[in-house]
Amino acid sequence: MNIHCLGISHHTAAIEIREKLWFSLQEIPPLLSSLKEKYMSEAVLISTCNRTELYYVPRENSLNGTPIWKMLAQAKGVGQEVGDQHFYSKSSEEAVAHLFRVSAGIDSMVLGDVQILNQMKEAFTIAQEQRCTGTITNRLFHTAFHVGKRARTETEIGEGAVSISYAATELASKIFEDLSRRTALLIGAGNTGKLTAKHLAGRELGQLLITNRTRSRAEELVALLGGRVVDFDRFPAELPAVDIVISSVEAPNYVLTAKDLHSVMKQRGNRPLFLIDIGVPRNIEPAANRIGNVFLHDIDALNQIVDQNLAHRKEEIPKIERLIGEELTEFSSWVGSLEVTPTIQQLREHFEFIRQEEVGKHLHHFAADKQAEVEMLTKRIVNKLLHTPMVNLKSTEEIPGMEDTRAKLSLLRHLFGLDKKNRS
Amino acid sequence: MHVLITGIQILLPVLYFCTIWAYARSFFSSLRIAGTLKTPLLICTIVVHALYIVLRTFVFGHPPITSIFEILTLIAFTIALVYGYIEFKTANSSTGYFILILPFFFQVVSSLFIKEASEIPTMLRSNLLGFHVTSALLGYAAITISAVYGFLYLMLYHDIKSSQFGLIYKRLPNLEVLERMSFTATIFGFLLLTVAIIVGLVWLPRVLGVIPYTDPKLFGTVAIWLIYAVGLTAKKVIGWQGKRIIVLSMFGFVIAMFSMTIINMFFSGFHRFY
Repeated sequence: MNIHCLGISHHTAAIEIREKLWFSLQEIPPLLSSLKEKYMSEAVLISTCNRTELYYVPRENSLNGTPIWKMLAQAKGVGQEVGDQHFYSKSSEEAVAHLFRVSAGIDSMVLGDVQILNQMKEAFTIAQEQRCTGTITNRLFHTAFHVGKRARTETEIGEGAVSISYAATELASKIFEDLSRRTALLIGAGNTGKLTAKHLAGRELGQLLITNRTRSRAEELVALLGGRVVDFDRFPAELPAVDIVISSVEAPNYVLTAKDLHSVMKQRGNRPLFLIDIGVPRNIEPAANRIGNVFLHDIDALNQIVDQNLAHRKEEIPKIERLIGEELTEFSSWVGSLEVTPTIQQLREHFEFIRQEEVGKHLHHFAADKQAEVEMLTKRIVNKLLHTPMVNLKSTEEIPGMEDTRAKLSLLRHLFGLDKKNRS
Repeated sequence: MHVLITGIQILLPVLYFCTIWAYARSFFSSLRIAGTLKTPLLICTIVVHALYIVLRTFVFGHPPITSIFEILTLIAFTIALVYGYIEFKTANSSTGYFILILPFFFQVVSSLFIKEASEIPTMLRSNLLGFHVTSALLGYAAITISAVYGFLYLMLYHDIKSSQFGLIYKRLPNLEVLERMSFTATIFGFLLLTVAIIVGLVWLPRVLGVIPYTDPKLFGTVAIWLIYAVGLTAKKVIGWQGKRIIVLSMFGFVIAMFSMTIINMFFSGFHRFY
C-alpha cells in the first residue's frame, strides 16, 4: 500500500518542540499545496497541541521522510532546532493502523480523547479544499472517521471522567438531580477550581458565587465565568444558600471547620451539601464528612475516580484493537481491488454472467444446429465490447481529474457495481 | 382452560427469571443485548401475568385473593406493573434488577404452592372485600417499592460518603431522584393502606358484628400505619431529610411484610380464611 505517515507527537517530542511545529488552520493550506507539488499525489496534514502528522501518497516510491520533515521545519523557521529523532515515520498497513488508533482516541495523551476526531475532520476538510486529497486519502479518512465512531459507540473508551474537574462535576450530578436549581460557591482562583466551576456552568448551574481574598481576582473570574462576587469575609453568611462549595485556596488553617459546617447544615435544614476541597493543604476540616448529608471530597478522592475511569478505559483497548484489525483488513482489501488485474477479471466475469443468463433463457428459440453459433456470436460481442476499455485501463495515459489508475478503477467498479459482487 | 392456567403458572417464574437476568446483565456487565431485551421482556411478562390473573378470576369465579399464594401473585404483578410505569415515566431503567427481584421471588412461591380451594367462604366473594384487598395490595406493593428505592439510596449515599466509586456509583441515578421515588411510593402506599384500613373497619362490623380489638393483625396494621404517619409528618413538619426518613420507611416495610405473612399465617384470628 502506497500510504505513508510522518509525524511528531507527545510520544516522541516534548511540548517545547511540538509547539514549534504546530500549524494553525491558516498555515496549513500553502504548506500542503507545496508538498503536493513537489512530492505527493495526495496529502493531509493534522496539527494539534499534541501531534503534527502528515498522511500522504508519494509520487515516487523511493521518497524518504527527511526532505519532508525538513520542509515542515523550514515552513516554521525552526530548521535548526528540530531533528530526525523527533519524528516517526510509518508506511503501508502500519500507517493506516496508526491513523485508526489516533481517530479511536487510543494514541492521545488522555486515553479516549474525543476532541481528536473533530480536529481530524477539520484537517481533512482543509486538504479537500486544497485539492490535496484523492481516491486513497478520501477512503482512508472516511474509514478513520468510521473507526472513531465505532470506538465510541461500541466500547466505553470515552466514558467516565478523566480529569479532576470533570470528576467533581460528575459527583455533583450524582448527588443533585437538577443543577439549575443549585448554587455553587468558588473560593479561590486555582485552575482546577475554575475548570470545575466552568463545567458546572456548562451543566446549567443555577447560580455561581465567587469569592477571593483579592476582590479584583474574583471580579476577573466573574467576567470569565459569570455569576457574582462575594466579599471574602462575608462568604460564610452565604453558605446556607449554597449547595456546592469548590475550595482551592492556599491557607495554613482550615477555611471551613466541622463546627462551622454543623451550624450551616442546621440552617440549611440538613439539605445535601457537596464540598470539593482542592486545596493543598486541605481547606476544609476532614471531620466534616461525618456530618449527615455533607459530602466532602478532597483531591485524593477525585483522583481515585479519575484513576478508576482511566483503568477502565485501558481495559477497552483490546476491543478497539480488534475493531481496528477488522477495519484494516477491509481497507487493505479495498486497496488491493484497485489493482488492475482483479478488476479486469471481475469485469469479464460480470459480462460473462449476463451473457450466459440471456443465452440460457433464449437458446431454445434457435434450432439445435444453430445453437453453437449463437454461443460463439454472443462471446464475440462481449469480447469486442470489453476490448477497448481493457486497453484504455491498462494504458498509463492520464485523464484530467483522474490522475491515477486507481481513480479509473474506482469509477469502473462503481459503474458496474463490482464492489457489491465482491462483498457477497 | 385449567391446562392453560397451569401452563402459565409454570411459565411465569421462567419469564420473570429471564427478565431479571436481562436487567442484571445490563446493570452489572453492560451486556448490550441484555440492555436491548430487558424492557421488551418486562412488558411481555406483565402482559402474560395480567392474562393469568384474568383467567384465574373467570375460571374460578373469584379474584385471586382467597389465599396467601393467590395474594402473592397479585402483589408480584402489581410491583412489576408499578415498576414498569416508573421506568416509563423516568426513562431510567438502571434500578430494574433491584425491584424486579421481588416479583420474581413472590411469583416462584406462588406458582409452587397455589391451588384452588374446594370451597370458598361466601364472604370472600364480596365486592367490598375485593376493594379492601386490592387497595391493601397496592399499598403493600408501593411500600415495597419505596423500601427498595430506599435501600438503593442508602447504598449510593454510603458509597459516595466513603469515596467508593464502583458499579453502584456509576449506574444508579442520583440521590435526589432515588429519595424522591422512594418518597412518592411511600405516599401512595400510605394513602392506599389508609383506604384499606378504613374499608376494613367499615366492612368488618357488617359481617362479624364485633371488632376483635386484640387481634394481632389489627395491631400489626395500626403499627404500620403509625410508623408511616409519623414519618410523613416528621418530613413535612420538622423537615427530616434523606437517611432518617428512608430508614424509617424501610423499617415500616419490614413490619408490613411481617404482618402480611407471619402474623397472617400463624397469629391472626379474623384474617384467616384457609
